[in-house]
Formats: sequence, structure tokens, C-alpha cells
Amino acid sequence: MTRRRDVARGAATLGTALALLGAALFLVLLWMVWFWVPTEAVQGVVQRIFYVHVPSAWVAFMAFGIVALCSAMYLWLKDERFDRAAVAAAEGGMVFTTIVLLTGPLWGKIAWGTYWTWEPRLTLTLLLWFIYLGYFLVRQATENPERGKRFAAVVGIVGAFDIPLIHVSVLWFRSLHPQPVVLNTEGPALDADMGITIGVAVLTFTILFLGLMMLRYEVETARARAALLEAG
Amino acid sequence: MKGYLGQLGAVVRKDLTQELRTRQRLATMGAFTVLVGVLFNFSVDPALVSMQDIAAGLIWLTLIFAGVMGVGRTFSLEAEDGAFQGVLLSPIPRDALYLGKVAANVVLVSVVVALIVGVFGLFFQLDYGAHPLALALTLFCGVVGFVALATLFGAVTAGTTLGESLLPVLLFPLLVPMVVYGVGATNRLLMGRPLTEVEGNIRILGAFAVAAVAVGAGLFRHVVED
Repeated sequence: MTRRRDVARGAATLGTALALLGAALFLVLLWMVWFWVPTEAVQGVVQRIFYVHVPSAWVAFMAFGIVALCSAMYLWLKDERFDRAAVAAAEGGMVFTTIVLLTGPLWGKIAWGTYWTWEPRLTLTLLLWFIYLGYFLVRQATENPERGKRFAAVVGIVGAFDIPLIHVSVLWFRSLHPQPVVLNTEGPALDADMGITIGVAVLTFTILFLGLMMLRYEVETARARAALLEAG
Repeated sequence: MKGYLGQLGAVVRKDLTQELRTRQRLATMGAFTVLVGVLFNFSVDPALVSMQDIAAGLIWLTLIFAGVMGVGRTFSLEAEDGAFQGVLLSPIPRDALYLGKVAANVVLVSVVVALIVGVFGLFFQLDYGAHPLALALTLFCGVVGFVALATLFGAVTAGTTLGESLLPVLLFPLLVPMVVYGVGATNRLLMGRPLTEVEGNIRILGAFAVAAVAVGAGLFRHVVED
């Protein structure tokens, strides 16, 4: 028990360290975005939102991968720790999905002339947000918490199977979103300084997310321990 | 294997017998379908839009809404008086139970889809084109994929305090691929386009249905264990 508690405390320390490192890197990123990186020639200054939008989208989808993986491990091994990791990742993922959905339309209003359009990646992100919502709704809507965890895990796994299909289908439907600039077959098509900035941005958001996820995991552990003490 | 199919068949028989005796779900889904047709008639101005152009979307949405109503009741009927506990206690593997329920629901929703096609055809003077079999196959693949997911999440929502009202929230985001390819194919068939234009769509719908059934059969035992 003491050893396990030590491990838990280690995770909390690491979580705090990552969150602080993420926050520090965020300041560096802000400086790079506002003062260092050149302004994009065609789109102008509005393109800078890209350095928040793209890494948030990366984190949103990476988080869902963690949710699905931890959900599958939870159903398989019935180890509470996987469920805690899944819910921690889901909460972070939902926050970053919300950021994507807020920053996208801000850019879209200026670049496309409209806040919302049925563009494939927009649609996919909106649906991802709703799949996350379903994950939390089933979790809270059961009298037996263990059942809620299993239900949420099922939502997470089915969502992970369906997201690639949704992606393909909405792409087939129509496309207006800018094509990938960084990860395309002919190599990055953007300016080197912009490439460095987006690299720093992705790194910052990933570290920040992992730090927040670990802290959230600790909250869940503490909650489980409190419930155990209450039950006596 | 014969034993497995026999058990699966027993579940199908039980669910269909129950439905034939009460006719509750068929009656509500059927009435819903006809009344939705009536409301659609008053909500679209035929002088502005041709019904033939929007029929594919109306058919698929009616399928989904009526299906949610019917399939969502799959487990709540048995939830009364703890009947589902009895089903779980019977020596039937969980996946056979799931597949049996899916098969029974496919029969049920297929009947409703036939009604939708018939009633909408009559109400809106639709021309179903030169390939009725391709249209039937498209709709059938859609029904199987829809029922597979709706039955799995029907079991989930039946175990929550929110009940059936939660089903659309869990289900609709996942149905987007089905609606995209299903409406796409149906639209083309109603426009009288050649079969080669819808082949790919039907193949993807079929793959979606098979994948949904497989995922559901694999996960169902985690939903009903307790």
C-alpha cells in the first residue's frame, strides 16, 4: 500500500512538473507567435491562430486514442487505473476539442467568410465533441459507478472504431478545408520559421495535456480513496 | 455450431413472438412513419422543391427516428419485472444473445422500412427508378448497420437513469458514415443514375454493417455483465 501510494505521489509530482513546463513553453510559444514568426503572405495575421488551432486538434484526437486504448485495457483487465487514465484523457480531450471548435470559426469567418461550413474536418471535430459528451453522460447516468465506467469504455471503443469511418465519409461528402501543409507527401510546404513555431506549438500542447491528464488522474485516485474511506 | 445457432434462433424466436403478440413496437413505429409522411407533406412546398429530389434524405431520417423508437425499447420491455435477469441466467453466450436481438430487430426495422418506402412512394408519387433491388440492398445494409449499433447502445441506455432519451446522443454521431453513403446511393438511384455509380457506396455500407455487428458482438458482454 505504501509503495503504491509512493507511485501515486510520483505521478502527481511528474504531472505538476509537466504542467509547469507546458505553461512555461506556452509563454515561449506566445512570444514566437506574436513577435518572431513571419506573417503569412496571403492570409495575413489571422493565420497565426493556426499555432493554437492545429496543436489543439492534434491533442484532441491523440486524447481520444488514449481514451480508447485505456478503455479497452479497462474492460480487459478490470484495473481501475485504466479507467482513471481514460476519464482523465477524455476530460482534457474535450477541453482541447472545444478550443479547436472555437478557434476554427474565428479563422473561418475571416478566411472563408463564414463561421461555420460543413467542411469535413470541422464536421469530424464537432462529432468528436459529441462522442466525448456521450462518454461523460453515460458515465454519470448510472446508479452503480462500476457500470458507468464499463458503459463509458464501450462508448470510447466504438467511437474509436467509428472516427476513421466518419473521417472518410465526410471527406467523400465535400472538402473546403486547407489541405495539409505540414504532413503531406511532398514534404512540408511552409516557411522554416513557421515550421519551427508549429513544432514548438505541438510539443507545448502535448506536454501541457499530459501534465493536466496526470493531475486529473490523481484527482480521480484521491476521489476513489475518499469513497473507500467513507465506506469505512 | 448447431447449438450456437439454435440458441441464437431461440432469442430471435422469443423476441419476434413477443412482438407478434403485443405488436406494440410495430404499431408505434408504423403509425410514426405514416404520420411523419403527413407532416413532411405539409412542411415542404412542392412548388419550390421536388419531393423526388429530397426523398432519399426523408427516407433515411425516418428510418433512423422510427428505428430509435423501436430498437430503444428492445431492453426496456425486459427490464420490467427483472425479466432480463432471467434471459441472462439462461445458458446462452452473450454474443449469441446480442446477435439474436440484432436479427429480430433487423426483421422489425426492415418491415418499417418497407412501410416507409411504400407510404412515401404513395404520398409523394416517388419514382423508385430502374433498380429496385439495388435500392433494397442499400436500405438493408443501412438497417443492419443501424440496428447493430442501436441494439448495443440500447442495452447501454437501458442501464442508465436517463433511459432511451440518451440513445440519440450516443448513436447519431456514429451514424454519420451510414447516412452519407446511404443517402448518397439512394439519391443516385432515385435520380435514375446507372448502378456503377452506387456500387462503391453499397460496398462501404455493407462493410459498415459487418464492422458494426462485429464490434457490437465483441462488446455486448461488457454492457450486460452484472
